[in-house]
Amino acid sequence: MAEVVLDKINKRYENGFHAVRDLDIAIADGEFLVLVGPSGCGKTTALRMVAGLEDITSGTMTIGGKVVNTLPPKDRDIAMVFQSYALYPHMSVADNIAYGLRIRRMDAAEISRRVERAAQMLELGNLLDRKPKQLSGGQRQRVAMGRAIVREPQVFLMDEPLSNLDAKLRVQMRAEIAQVQQDLNVTTIYVTHDQIEAMTMGDRVAVMKAGVLQQIGDPQHLYDHPDNIFVAGFIGSPPMNMALGRVEAGNGDLAVRLGAATLALPGAVTAARPALAGYAGRDVAVGVRSEDMEDARLARGGDDLPRLRTTVTMTEALGSEIVVHFVLDAPKVVTEDTKALEKDAHSSDVALHDRGTRFRASFGPRSRVRNGDEIEVVVDTERVHFFDPESGAAIRS
Amino acid sequence: MTATNEVVRLGSARGGWLRQFGWRHLVGLLALAFSLFPILFVVSASLNPLGTLSSSTLIPPDTSLENFTKLFGTTSFSRWFLNTLLIGVLSAVLSMFVSAAAAFAFSRYRFKGRRIGLVSLLLVQMFPQFLAIVALYLIFAEITDLYPAIGLNTSWGLILLYLGGALGVNTWLMKGFFDTIPKDLDESAKVDGATHSQIFFGIILPLVVPILAVTGLLGFINTVNEFLIASVFLTDDSAKTAAVGLYGLISGERNANFGVFSAGAVILAIPTVVLFQFLQRYIVGGLTSGAVKG
Repeated sequence: MAEVVLDKINKRYENGFHAVRDLDIAIADGEFLVLVGPSGCGKTTALRMVAGLEDITSGTMTIGGKVVNTLPPKDRDIAMVFQSYALYPHMSVADNIAYGLRIRRMDAAEISRRVERAAQMLELGNLLDRKPKQLSGGQRQRVAMGRAIVREPQVFLMDEPLSNLDAKLRVQMRAEIAQVQQDLNVTTIYVTHDQIEAMTMGDRVAVMKAGVLQQIGDPQHLYDHPDNIFVAGFIGSPPMNMALGRVEAGNGDLAVRLGAATLALPGAVTAARPALAGYAGRDVAVGVRSEDMEDARLARGGDDLPRLRTTVTMTEALGSEIVVHFVLDAPKVVTEDTKALEKDAHSSDVALHDRGTRFRASFGPRSRVRNGDEIEVVVDTERVHFFDPESGAAIRS
Repeated sequence: MTATNEVVRLGSARGGWLRQFGWRHLVGLLALAFSLFPILFVVSASLNPLGTLSSSTLIPPDTSLENFTKLFGTTSFSRWFLNTLLIGVLSAVLSMFVSAAAAFAFSRYRFKGRRIGLVSLLLVQMFPQFLAIVALYLIFAEITDLYPAIGLNTSWGLILLYLGGALGVNTWLMKGFFDTIPKDLDESAKVDGATHSQIFFGIILPLVVPILAVTGLLGFINTVNEFLIASVFLTDDSAKTAAVGLYGLISGERNANFGVFSAGAVILAIPTVVLFQFLQRYIVGGLTSGAVKG
């Protein structure tokens, strides 16, 4: 067990590409840290630098208090699970798992003891004689895990280990990996582009974009208090709705105008964000999570709640909730962050032009809203997010 | 048209079989005759006791093993044959190993001169060895003075020469195959604690067995059949390879020793055929894999 510290880590390739910039992360002993971000954000490069498979251009990397910058992978006491599993095709499952131990000339009895225990842990007992070719995707994944476990390393490194599995198996393996990590209590760095994996597995989540760390914190904190538009849009499914609104100041209270509607902001909201008053008369990016909106007919609390009037363009009934799509008559937020998010999701609202911004709201299952309905949407103004429309940073103090 | 109609039409007696399958058999038979004819001719010539070129026919008038007894009795064929096997096996195995090591480096590592190295290996291959024969002879003449054990008229000198000759093609062939093996395997082994040589011998080599078999076999066949350089380098009767020795039998008077020559050629074919039998399954795999993923 050991803590891993990345101090101002940089990676610049020979062709000038700056893959990782000034990365500062301290991972505590036994912690499960998830590095998440769109493809090309430098998360895998960062992981490979911890593993020693990639040179560090500048900065200091320590594992268990020891600087490892120039140490080869084998001397770092780490085990890595690869996206492709990287099982040796010509070896049986047992040999695959034992390979790392044999290479280190471990005592044969100890090897078989460890292999057996790992096999039991991962339910591989009756597959030990098979070749990787004869295994299913989930089984291969387990063997890859087993190979890491038997090493009993200081640190586990996992590079998108679930991305080759189908959706159902992924959910199952997600829980299994988290369980194994908890049981063994080994410091783990887990790379993924899937924000759901990040949310569900990590003790802490580090969001990266274009080689730069955007925010690091426990998953709920990232969800509730994103530092910028990118984190807000990347964490959460469906992503946070975002539109330009104007901050208006009147008799001491602040309000925000979103299209035709004006949402009065509770005193607690403005009190928590002293900087917001400075934006009076200017545009801000207003972020609303889908679950913070509700069908006005279902909402309790009377008519004085702030609401948006709009027309439903599409509904998705999920059983536990209904996701309602509508177009809000407020301009879209366009920043570097939103562009990066659109690129990652391969989506774009170009078709809307200037008609407004597409919003998604989750209504309770009792809502009878249908396509084309004129509806009123109640917004929980206590949970609305504000970002600077230029820098994309959250407006707080 | 429904599916049943289709089936009936195909199975009908309108000469369907010949058009569907028959012509393939005909083409096959033709190809077979084309490739078997020379073999049959040589085998028949070797059994023909008259033993001259002019008396050779496809079906010999009389059969005996006289040519074979003459081959072993009056010439040093057994010596030549052993020389050929020694040179063939050793240069095939060694060149296989040297090329695999080179291909591993070219495929796995990034170093200064990698591109230039690859390109020059390819360029050198474009010139026939024939061009270098004078230079090679001069070099080896010098070596013979200094280290006679690996100079002219020795199997070792020739093996050394063949090793260099095969390096280029084999390295390219193998590099292509090595490139299809995911780098993740190397990296995984590296993290597991393996050294470069442990990765090479323990992980990569077992996975490239098909291409090793192909290059090994091609190397062996080339060496056994190689005549030009061997004939320049080996002039002592006891140092000759079978190809050089057998040629000596018919170089004087082509007609007279033809039966003995044929007997030698038949025996010389045996090791290649046997090797083919053993390596067949690898060769099919080695020549096609890499083309299709998985």
